[in-house]
Amino acid sequence: MTNEFGGIVVHAAARSFGSVQAVRHIDFEAPPGEVTALIGPNGSGKTTLLLILASLLAVDSGSVRVGGIDPVADPQGVRRLVGWMPDSLGRWDSLSALEVLTTTGALYGMRPEERTARAHELLETVSLTEYTRQPARVLSRGQQQRLSLARALIHNPQVLLLDEPASGLDPGSRVDLRTLLRTLAAAGKTVVVSSHVLSELDEIADRAVFISRGESVRSQTLDEAGNQVRRYNIQAEPMSALAAELSGHGMRFEERGDSRRLEYQVMLDSTQQAAWLLRTLVLADVAVTAFAPAGGALEETYMSLDTDRR
Amino acid sequence: MSVKMQQPPQLADERTLSSRAAVGTVFGLEMRQRLRGRAWYVMLAVWFVVIGAVFLLATATMGTITGIGAVLFDLVVGFVLFFGLLVAPGLSANAVNGDRAAGTLAILQVTLLTPGQLLAGKWLASWVGSLAFLLLSAPFIFWALALGGVPASEAFVSLGMLALELGLVCAIGVGVSSIANRPLFSIVATYMLVALLALGTLITFGLSTALVLEEAEVTTSYYNHTEPMPAVGPDGELPAVDPSKCVTETIRQPVPHTERITWLLAANPFVVVADAVPYARSGSGDFAYVAGGTRPPGVMESISQQVRTLQAGPDLEVTCEESLGEPRDVGRGSPIWPLGLVLQSLLAGGLLLLGYRRLRTPAGRLAQGTRIA
Repeated sequence: MTNEFGGIVVHAAARSFGSVQAVRHIDFEAPPGEVTALIGPNGSGKTTLLLILASLLAVDSGSVRVGGIDPVADPQGVRRLVGWMPDSLGRWDSLSALEVLTTTGALYGMRPEERTARAHELLETVSLTEYTRQPARVLSRGQQQRLSLARALIHNPQVLLLDEPASGLDPGSRVDLRTLLRTLAAAGKTVVVSSHVLSELDEIADRAVFISRGESVRSQTLDEAGNQVRRYNIQAEPMSALAAELSGHGMRFEERGDSRRLEYQVMLDSTQQAAWLLRTLVLADVAVTAFAPAGGALEETYMSLDTDRR
Repeated sequence: MSVKMQQPPQLADERTLSSRAAVGTVFGLEMRQRLRGRAWYVMLAVWFVVIGAVFLLATATMGTITGIGAVLFDLVVGFVLFFGLLVAPGLSANAVNGDRAAGTLAILQVTLLTPGQLLAGKWLASWVGSLAFLLLSAPFIFWALALGGVPASEAFVSLGMLALELGLVCAIGVGVSSIANRPLFSIVATYMLVALLALGTLITFGLSTALVLEEAEVTTSYYNHTEPMPAVGPDGELPAVDPSKCVTETIRQPVPHTERITWLLAANPFVVVADAVPYARSGSGDFAYVAGGTRPPGVMESISQQVRTLQAGPDLEVTCEESLGEPRDVGRGSPIWPLGLVLQSLLAGGLLLLGYRRLRTPAGRLAQGTRIA
């Protein structure tokens, strides 16, 4: 799946800042051609791991290979391959969107005509063409975010590291981002996305690595995630008929209190079981008005993990 | 959104970043931001007004003195240096950590740019930024020059040394800004270092003189006139001294061996600039370089004279002429400014080296509170 010529392989990485152990033990793989999600609560070490992959931080122990290259031994080699979009919105206020991109391109050793062409192309990709000559400070947060994404892509990197790329984006831009990331993955790039907007990652990611308190606690593909035990929310008219039918099949259910309308929540082992239950309810003349998974597949894994959210 | 993913003509692993292109890009980035901001222009305007006011005021008050050009020139050079020492830290001392605070440093670090190239570009940009101030004060320097008494060579050496000093202060500022985390702290620290060079050297020198006191035989000569001298002679001239009345006595007394500690003063920017200038003035022809002669020496010139006197060490044989206030002729002595430049360069270089180590990535140990991005 991941060979030394592409993708990312991290084994037993650890990194501390003074007495704070930001990354304790992370195993992580991101194969080329796929979008890998990095999921974990705030302060779990996602950003630190991305900084390590971007060759900005050295690991204390463990091994890291980005495209087969060790970032500590050959940072320049890694930097040629990697495009990094930070979570902080760093910007050169007085530079125009085009200049931001061409300046970055110049620092990646791109020739003038090449970087200008690529910058125009990317401004079109992230729908910022009307801001080509505008200073970056007039851009809104979401637009800044898109410019930052374009900057990460300027040198057509093989590996893309995106730290919370969707934060601040409007729904339309999120769909665009999804399309773009899928296109990049389809072109054989290695894409790593950190986020905690889990419903979104459901649709973008091929696989996910869950991180908690600096440790990788779980790694699964989206197919695996879809086939695990999940909670379903069910509503019916009247609810009493639904309750009777569920009890009749010996299914445990609980009232969900955090919703505006009354609904029951049940645990189902698989999509097959969900299909069976729905059919059974309908055949029993229960007027089902809603029947849906309680959350995304990744959210299910996330909630099931024994993580502490501080 | 149309997603075009065509392969660029140049392959990624073929790309290399030449040092010239790297430094040039960082320099361009810095200059573009400076030229588009308003702060720099405001500072330039204030600078021009202040230097102009000092110049005009000096012209008005000293207009009657002979060799006014030379004195004015010295004054302008001294003021430009003084204000330059105030401006250069402001332009340089947040170069790196300002970027860190704005979140743009990591964006640079993640490219093919090396820490050395980053520092070089930042330093060059702050130096050029402060040279604009020097350029703006050039009209006054050349105005003083036009008033006569100052050879052009002196003016150009002065300008060159001012430029060099600004460059060194900028290097100190950039170095400190890459070591310290907070822009405010690094700007204050740079001002402290500049104050250490400009005032601290004087204070240290003054306090150290006590340490170099040594007993020595000092031969002192003076005129011993037994009868009271008339204030003015019969012909209205000052009474002539009688060479035969010159008496000499030798006493043991502690004398400060200033020649051992004058190097402390060498690190002073004012001493470096003052001492590097070749004072060989014979502008209007009626005076040559004679200390205390026909023309009062300018500010910078007297600094140079005093340093060279200190460098010569204690006067163990005071002649009768000297006892009447004639300064001792120590010649031009050996120049002390090269030593000053070396000391200042060592300081700036050391700070830049520390800064370089702080900027190296992948970063190993980080200082407390540092955030990479």
